[in-house]
Amino acid sequence: MTAQPSDSTEFPLEITLKPLALIGLSGLDTINNAIHKTIWDAFSNNRRPDRASVQFKLLHNTFEFPVIKPKRNSYEWYIPKGILKKNWIPKRVALIPAVVVIFYDMEWNDPQWNEKIIECASRVQSIRAAVEGHATRVAVVVVQSGLSPPPSEYMLGAERAQVLCSACEIQSKSLFVLPHSDHLMGYIVRLENAFYDIAQNYYHHETKNIKQHRDHLNKTTHQYLFVRHQFKLGFLNELKQDLSTAHKHYMHAYNNLLETRQVDTNIHEIRTVAGYINYKLCKLLFALNLARDAIAQLKSHIDRYKNRIGPTELLFEHYAWIARQYSAFGELFDEAISLGLPAIQSQHPGFYYQHAAQFTVMRRQAMRSVCCEALQYPPPPDPMEGIVEFYGQRPWRPGRLSADPHDPQKEQAAVLALQYNERVFNHSAMIISFLSSAITQFKTFHSPRMRKQLVVEMANEYYYCADYGKALTLLTHMLWDYRREKWWFLASHVLNRALQCAYLSAKIQDYIQLSIEALSKHIQVPNNDKDRIFRNIMSVLNLNIPAPEPDLPVSSQSRALELWQLAIEKEPLTIVIDMVNISSFLEVKTKFKQAKYRMDDTIEVELFVRLTFNTTLLAKAALLTIASKVETIEIPILDSGMTNVKLEGGKVRRFLCQFKTNPHDIGSDMSIKNVSFILDHERRRKIIMNFKVEDSKSLEPTVHPELLHFILSPKSDYEFDCIVPLNTTSITSRECRLSIEIENAVPALQGEWFPTTFTVVNNEESSVYDLAIALSLLSSPDNPNPDSVTELSYAHGESQPQPLKFQVGTVDEASAYTNLFYLKTNRTATATVQLRVSYKIDFQEMPKLECVKDFTTKITVIKPFEVTTNFVDMGFMPITKCFVDDPFIVMPEIKILSPWDLLILDTELETVECLKYGDDKKPSSCIRNLQVAERNVASDAICVQARYKPKDPPTRVGLYNIMWRRESSTSGPCVMSSSALSGIAIEECPISIEVNYPEVVELMTSVPLKCRLIGRTDVPIRLSLTVEGTDTYIFSGYKKFSVTVPPKDKFELCYNILPLVTGNTVPPRLKAVVLGDNTRQEIVTEIFEKHFPRNIFVMPKYK
Amino acid sequence: MAVCVAVIGKDNSPLYIGGIGNDPNADNELSRQWLVHTALDALEERLSTTNNSNTNSSTNTARADLRDLYLGLLYSTDTHKIYGYVTNTRIKLVLVTSSTSPGSNIRDAEVRTALRRLHALYADAICNPFHLPGDQITSLKFDKQVKSLMLNNV
Repeated sequence: MTAQPSDSTEFPLEITLKPLALIGLSGLDTINNAIHKTIWDAFSNNRRPDRASVQFKLLHNTFEFPVIKPKRNSYEWYIPKGILKKNWIPKRVALIPAVVVIFYDMEWNDPQWNEKIIECASRVQSIRAAVEGHATRVAVVVVQSGLSPPPSEYMLGAERAQVLCSACEIQSKSLFVLPHSDHLMGYIVRLENAFYDIAQNYYHHETKNIKQHRDHLNKTTHQYLFVRHQFKLGFLNELKQDLSTAHKHYMHAYNNLLETRQVDTNIHEIRTVAGYINYKLCKLLFALNLARDAIAQLKSHIDRYKNRIGPTELLFEHYAWIARQYSAFGELFDEAISLGLPAIQSQHPGFYYQHAAQFTVMRRQAMRSVCCEALQYPPPPDPMEGIVEFYGQRPWRPGRLSADPHDPQKEQAAVLALQYNERVFNHSAMIISFLSSAITQFKTFHSPRMRKQLVVEMANEYYYCADYGKALTLLTHMLWDYRREKWWFLASHVLNRALQCAYLSAKIQDYIQLSIEALSKHIQVPNNDKDRIFRNIMSVLNLNIPAPEPDLPVSSQSRALELWQLAIEKEPLTIVIDMVNISSFLEVKTKFKQAKYRMDDTIEVELFVRLTFNTTLLAKAALLTIASKVETIEIPILDSGMTNVKLEGGKVRRFLCQFKTNPHDIGSDMSIKNVSFILDHERRRKIIMNFKVEDSKSLEPTVHPELLHFILSPKSDYEFDCIVPLNTTSITSRECRLSIEIENAVPALQGEWFPTTFTVVNNEESSVYDLAIALSLLSSPDNPNPDSVTELSYAHGESQPQPLKFQVGTVDEASAYTNLFYLKTNRTATATVQLRVSYKIDFQEMPKLECVKDFTTKITVIKPFEVTTNFVDMGFMPITKCFVDDPFIVMPEIKILSPWDLLILDTELETVECLKYGDDKKPSSCIRNLQVAERNVASDAICVQARYKPKDPPTRVGLYNIMWRRESSTSGPCVMSSSALSGIAIEECPISIEVNYPEVVELMTSVPLKCRLIGRTDVPIRLSLTVEGTDTYIFSGYKKFSVTVPPKDKFELCYNILPLVTGNTVPPRLKAVVLGDNTRQEIVTEIFEKHFPRNIFVMPKYK
Repeated sequence: MAVCVAVIGKDNSPLYIGGIGNDPNADNELSRQWLVHTALDALEERLSTTNNSNTNSSTNTARADLRDLYLGLLYSTDTHKIYGYVTNTRIKLVLVTSSTSPGSNIRDAEVRTALRRLHALYADAICNPFHLPGDQITSLKFDKQVKSLMLNNV
């Protein structure tokens, strides 16, 4: 906050500064002694807020204490001449220390101890003499190197300290030792706190002294003293940092002051002092964290003094005083906030600054009404000269208490002097400074609109003090916001003032822009005189000076005219105005006729222009700027073939722009970027009005686009209000006139390279060139990721990266191009193939026109066959498990699904690790070179046996590979399809059995039944065997006996059996019971069951 | 007594500002508009704080629906008191009373009733099928009703 020095309302520094206890430091030679310098620096520098509230003053030998006034014993005949003496506070804060500290260098074991102690005592004595009369405390600090231990642990030290105290006549608690070697800062802080304690003690003593006076006072003559003493008490308590007591005394002072009789001669003094006390009160309340009380105090303070106006010829002083109360409070509030006080939107310092500004405005008004005649400073003697002893007293009658002016002439001259000073005072600067403080606060406390209003007021202030440039800058910024929120009344107010500023500062660019906006239907201008504004625009265009705005300050008009004469024929000769950001008298809507254009179409843009101001506007030229990805072009708008565009007020004109696309625009968007109207009257000056079309749609129409159709708009205006602008269009390629034919034998079979023939026929009117065909696979819902399972190729068996490209070259009209591609897929789903045909064609107006078209074809893929497996034993009986080293037969069955006849060329079984072929070499396929048709089933059989029992049951016995091809394609390569055959459980048996018996026997014929038991383990196995005979046979051999099957060896049994009946018979069967370890009984029983024949067919005897 | 009533759109543009003042000159209108316009600061602040507290706790969402549309006293100057009301479609209604003229002690409930009635009048006015939402309200009937509301009620 800076106010002019001539402003007498400003608070003196001693009132605004925080009082700090004053402590004088003596005996420090900071210039010659480095140690003393560090001590002094430690005391005085870098004082952080956490340190004690004291102020140090270096006392030199020459320092003189203020002379003490003779003590008054009785107040009976004493009449105070004023309320507060101006020099009292400075004395307390700068001249009379609470404590004087004498620094003295001395070690306890100093050899010249006696001399030293005498010198020290004499220094103390001289200080005592200097402060004679004041109650200032004295303390001694002995500066030591810190090598000797402290006196408490050091007999000599303690003794000598005692001696020193008595020599200097001080108490032992006023003697301090300061070792300066280490930890100096710590000692200093402790010393400081000790001094602070002494100082507080001193101030306490002082307050007691003042309180004693009170009994001598009486209300009739000593009313001022009641105020003065309470103020002093308050201040001393503040020095003591006892804030709440200080507040109490200030409050007494304030209330006592209110009771003082007020007359015109002392009003200024009372007001001034009241202001100071109020300031102190508020400051203390903020410091005590009682912000609400502070606010209430200010409010009541203002209320009390609002009507104490004083003499009317000095009315401005009253307003100046109120303004100062507010601004000072604002500063206090702001300070409190910076120290952590929370503030809210409805209560913050900004309001007080705003009030300060408002009262300064009132001050100026008062000045205008009462100071009209103060044209000259009064002749000498200057009534303002003279020293005033008390705050707020008049220099021409200091210390006078009587209510009547004792010298009317002098009084008159003084009033004139004050009025003259007020007249030359720059109120605007003060208002602006208050406003700028307020603006900052309102910005901080989320009040953007309040801030705007204050900025406008500030701009007005700049206008009043003829700083039109600054005013204009501020106003144009604010205009933007009011316009955006559509507060047209406020916008008009701002705009009219801005227009005045622009005229007065002859800023052509701003002047024209503001004038154009003033013609908008939303803006109200003074006297509704828009014609004048329009004429002004035309004048500037013709390099003539425009007519002045109404209500201009007379003093600035001639200056403005000079400025215009200088500026009118100079730059800026071309005035570019961004019309979208302002509200103006021209409205433009643009639309592409279609949202999509093909390359060979003519693009048409419709342009509607409405001139809302009632005049005829001739534009020299109008341009439409269109931008695409590759270029930006400007197209002149033609008005019936002419570039001159004539617009009439209140009417809507429609213009049509036609143009062709650029070949590079294909596939991109084209947008309208700008419409500009150029005003030009054959002179050098041009006005270009740009209607920029923003992508971000910053300027939304007033009405929602979906509601545009509801607006009633005259038909003759092309229903302007209902037009929904269309500012972008997309350019697509020209329509393709090539056709394609696809030939193939669908469905394709899984795994085969499936050929497809395509034929492209040129149906264009001329030959095409650079024809290229690109094949790629499209994903579809049932085949989402076709690239992973499907391959495309130019030839059999060679997979090619996609897309598959065919560079064809030129194809004449009505001719065709044929080629084929192969597709192989491993998934039975529909494959979708896209054929993108692109080519170029020449037209007269558009050479090298590119056309693209996508064709698709769908190819269904099915399985050629299905493979299932059966397992049978060597007797072709189905089995569900097999035994190690026990051969069995795998029988794959191939069921043909293909609608096309197939030729199975070969098959093979790749067994898994734990199986091997039953024969030593790989058996040849049973179904090689077999021709099959749909629904045929081809059965294969392969004998295998298990080599060992794997840990986990095998999931499959192996891969079954089928080599096949379509029967129709005799030459084509064969396809190998593999399918996994399901697994079979493998068991391990301790013995294996081979049984030899005939399948068919004759009745009554003895046949041998040989049985061989082979031990498969490393230990012999003992079995108990029984033969289960049947009625249909008789047999010979052991019926029941035990055998031992040796390990890795065999045991042979031999029976003869003789059938008794014909037909299917059950032969006698061997059963075995494992002796000993019978855990493997089950498996042995099973293998016996399996190997012994269940039935034998018996033929009748051939006779 | 009420000296001014304003209807402000959701984009903060004025839809209607009506006042009964002693002098109809431009300065009066200007100060009235400043007053209403700056009241938007306080309105916006209120709205943003209620919104924040709603988003902070989900239990408050139910309360948000039942939120009182009447916002109470927005702020007061030496001469005027400004009350606010926000509809569910964020149309802001502002009522300005003069605190200097006689009978300036208006009870809060009275202001609330007046603003509710204004809300009803506004709803009636925009029910007009020829009125476009977002446009200024030019209806003479509305103007007359609002003026009478200001004179009679508050």
